[in-house]
Amino acid sequence: MTANHTYETNIRIPFSFIIFGLLAFFLSQILLFLSTRQLSTGEMRLPVVLSAVHLLVIGFALMTAMGAMYQLVPVVFLTPIWNESFAFIQMVVTSLGILSFSISLAFNIQMAIFSGLLLTCGIVMFLWQMFMTLKKQKKRTVITLFVGTALICLLLTIGLGLTLAYHFWSVRQLIDHDLIFKAHILLGFSGWFTLLIFGFSYKMVPMFSLAHHFSMNTARYVYIFYISGLVLTFISFITANDRLLSAGLQLMAVGYGLFAYHMFAILKKRMKKKLDKPFLFALLAIVFGVILHIAAAGFSFESEIHSRIFSIIIYCYLFGWIVLSIISYLYKIVPFLWWTHRYSKKIGKEAVPTLKQMINEKWIVMECCLFVASLIGMIAALASSSTGLFYLAQGGMVLFSGLFACTIGSVLLK
Amino acid sequence: MEIKAKILEKLQNVLDPELGINVVDLGLIYKIEVKDGTAFILMTLTTPGCPLHDSIAGGVKRALRDIEGIQDVKSKSLGIRLGPLIE
Repeated sequence: MTANHTYETNIRIPFSFIIFGLLAFFLSQILLFLSTRQLSTGEMRLPVVLSAVHLLVIGFALMTAMGAMYQLVPVVFLTPIWNESFAFIQMVVTSLGILSFSISLAFNIQMAIFSGLLLTCGIVMFLWQMFMTLKKQKKRTVITLFVGTALICLLLTIGLGLTLAYHFWSVRQLIDHDLIFKAHILLGFSGWFTLLIFGFSYKMVPMFSLAHHFSMNTARYVYIFYISGLVLTFISFITANDRLLSAGLQLMAVGYGLFAYHMFAILKKRMKKKLDKPFLFALLAIVFGVILHIAAAGFSFESEIHSRIFSIIIYCYLFGWIVLSIISYLYKIVPFLWWTHRYSKKIGKEAVPTLKQMINEKWIVMECCLFVASLIGMIAALASSSTGLFYLAQGGMVLFSGLFACTIGSVLLK
Repeated sequence: MEIKAKILEKLQNVLDPELGINVVDLGLIYKIEVKDGTAFILMTLTTPGCPLHDSIAGGVKRALRDIEGIQDVKSKSLGIRLGPLIE
């Protein structure tokens, strides 16, 4: 037997990142639940809220994205991971960095610079791993461009984050604190996560729908419009120019709209007529993303931009686009990883379960519906400042995060 | 039974776990040749750079191992071609 390629990464690498991510997700939702009174008044920049948000964004979303990349990069770029032992060390350093950073944010924000440095070490180790891996890729594609730019944005995001932590420590501003804060969110959410999801969607959407013979031409326009929008928005923060901000957000909306159009054009070429349920929720996340980009561009025309509206849009962007995309794909990736570990050597020799049999799809649908209902409830609670609704909706999120961890964990029993 | 028919029959035990359909019915097998006890299987997978490549290719080898007269199996994956419409 001549195997043409070897794409399999040591399963313990992605799983260690994913398990940490699930625990961080659950903990972050409990912390947000406990901060309900403050959040319902629109107060977002509180130590415990900052801690919960970083546990969610770095502890769950970033760690899961890293774990998924250790599995997906060899598959997408046909290049093995540069150094698997280094990946384990990176996992330990990053985990310790996230835990200590979240604790610092909650209890002693002034000292967050030190745990932030440890966290930065972990992320830089990951960036180095990816740089060394992608360097070996023989034929670069537009996906390399999306993922490469996302990694650069991640580096810039942590640089900006460290600057914020330095401000807390030194009690003086190197650069305008608000400018750094806005740029930190822009590059973290739209630069790193969105570009990364764009890039991998170009592999996963055709893979999960069995789409073939589709054009990739639109991808370059997606990149050009979205990056131009990102750069203009970033410059608008520096120059405090509202017109430039509008132009930047509009370009990003066009780029995102083109991405959504391209995804659905790819789906038209699919051979798998009935799409899997988790994958449908990943597509729903794209629809949310379109609405949110249009909303952000639309509200930027207002001469008096209401920060509360933008806070709600950013909340929806994090949960409705980034987190929903990640959880939807995790429902697909985890059964695949565990199946490969348990059954790949048994295929052809004895009866093996299908990937669908590795996870209960009915539970996935119920959990995703709970997530979407809780998200809608949170939007209503944030808009109306209703503490009761906030408790109810965030309670739904806590319940979801627990059920989600159990469903993913149940795969490991198969 | 002719050896190629036996090979096809055995390959029907190799399922694509994503779809739950065997590689023969999926139209993934292009060509089967047997020469000096070695089976050459020209096949494809459902998507370029399929993450299940190693699993399915290994499954093909295991499925054909017990056929009398086959001492070795070599397979090669090509570009994409899908047979029946997948529901």
